Amino acid sequence: MNGLPLRSRVARLALSAAVTAVVWCGLLPRLLAWPPVASHVTLMEERRVDPAAMYYTELERLPLRPAWIEQEIVLWPRVKK
Amino acid sequence: MNTRSRLATSLHEDTAAVVVGLGVVLLALAVTWLGRPDDDAGSRERYPKGWPTPLATTVAMPEAWGDAPLAAFRDKTGAWAVGPILLGMGWVVVVGACGSALGGRGVRDSLPGLALLAAFACLAYVLASQKVVKHSNLEYPLWALAVGLVVGNAGRVPRWLTPALVGEFFIKTGLVIFGAEVLVSRLLALGLPGLMTAWLVTPVVLVATYLFGVRVLRIPSRALCMTLAADMSVCGVSAAIATGAACRAKKEELSLAIGLSLFFTVIMMVAMPPVIRWMGLDPIVGGAWIGGTIDATGAVVAAGESLGREAGAVAATVKMIQNSMIGLIAFAVAVYWAGWVDRTGAESRGTLAAEAWHRFPRFILGFLVVSLVCSGLHALGPEQALWVDGATSGFTTKVRGWLFCAGFVCLGLQTRVRELAPFLASGRPVVLYLTGQALNLVLTLAVASLTFGWLFRKAVDP
Repeated sequence: MNGLPLRSRVARLALSAAVTAVVWCGLLPRLLAWPPVASHVTLMEERRVDPAAMYYTELERLPLRPAWIEQEIVLWPRVKK
Repeated sequence: MNTRSRLATSLHEDTAAVVVGLGVVLLALAVTWLGRPDDDAGSRERYPKGWPTPLATTVAMPEAWGDAPLAAFRDKTGAWAVGPILLGMGWVVVVGACGSALGGRGVRDSLPGLALLAAFACLAYVLASQKVVKHSNLEYPLWALAVGLVVGNAGRVPRWLTPALVGEFFIKTGLVIFGAEVLVSRLLALGLPGLMTAWLVTPVVLVATYLFGVRVLRIPSRALCMTLAADMSVCGVSAAIATGAACRAKKEELSLAIGLSLFFTVIMMVAMPPVIRWMGLDPIVGGAWIGGTIDATGAVVAAGESLGREAGAVAATVKMIQNSMIGLIAFAVAVYWAGWVDRTGAESRGTLAAEAWHRFPRFILGFLVVSLVCSGLHALGPEQALWVDGATSGFTTKVRGWLFCAGFVCLGLQTRVRELAPFLASGRPVVLYLTGQALNLVLTLAVASLTFGWLFRKAVDP
């Protein structure tokens, strides 16, 4: 593929850039305005959820153990003597 | 290049990655300590993500945007953040140049290529930050690979860019820095039920999936089986990067594992909450099931939160417990690979231990040492915990993000699409992923129901 003439390579790159621009600047913004998508995004933003986080340190809120869990769950069972 | 010279090059690159990675972590800890707050320094309520670090102004990523891509270059307050983003790109250039200098290559030759690489990484971040893409959990590594693949396959990589294509060095350095975030103390966050849910199932699924791929599906590449198994059973892309580097997976194999993981993560993120509602599961059990099975952290939180606050909190915490074991998993995989898998065909260097040590990827030790030191610091007290959290959340997380992104652009630039075709054509990696994930779903549901739903439930056992 790298043996292609310069004009073909430039044309391929230009086509890729054009497709990217159309999708990211045209299609995706329209999809974002679609009510089901818009309400989901709004809900996630209100709850400060970053769905693209790769690791827990990238989350906007660090996952700290909620206080209520200790009322629900025995975290470290007591040893019976 | 013969085996001996290839090993020598690899060792040198590993050492350079450890030196640069340690330098970045020490810089972050030192500057954060010097800028520590005078009041309430141990208050988590006041500093929920740790002490603010002065280094935070030296690195930023493009922010989420909806319909105007330029909004990616504004911060959360709406002010322009071009400077910090350019400085973030600058870290790619600085770390790459340090790697060239330590590796004995010409720094000046690599600078123009490193600058272009940083620009490609920025483009990948902008593509990943579009809100629909972001909320679909299509993370930046996918777009970094895509940008590299398109540029590398549609055109020709110019000769002046070649000295900057040190993707493995970027990823190894990023992993050493990443060690500061892998805190072993987080393992205990949900007590025994959390440990059982995350860690009774994870090793079983990891080993079973790997063996199924090697013995039953007979996938020729053991490294691909291990990378896919870790990616699916531990925590997605971050686990794939760490274990892929530990078992020296090829760039095509790492790309394939990441692509598969992200594809199925999107499906599971959308499908699991309605399935849990339909099954009538308790939100805590449902959250634990989500946390133990969906690969990516962000997708876990999104799926959990769509079930409710309780499920979201449990899901995120179970995932964090799984996250915390990446260091040990990567170390175990590196030991297994150096001691057993890579032995075949290698020249004898004496005892098994000596041979294993010779082949062992040294950067994994750097990763583990950073992880253990930061875990120890974090466990010392509330102030030290906020010190480590501030240094990581304000600085190292962003620097390693830029390095991983640049590393994936390099992998894409150096990957030929036709080399991916044989992996995809057989369909076996997809079967391996689906089989492993099915086992993961069944086992995690069973253990989550047992622990969070019955064995440790206070209503049952007050």
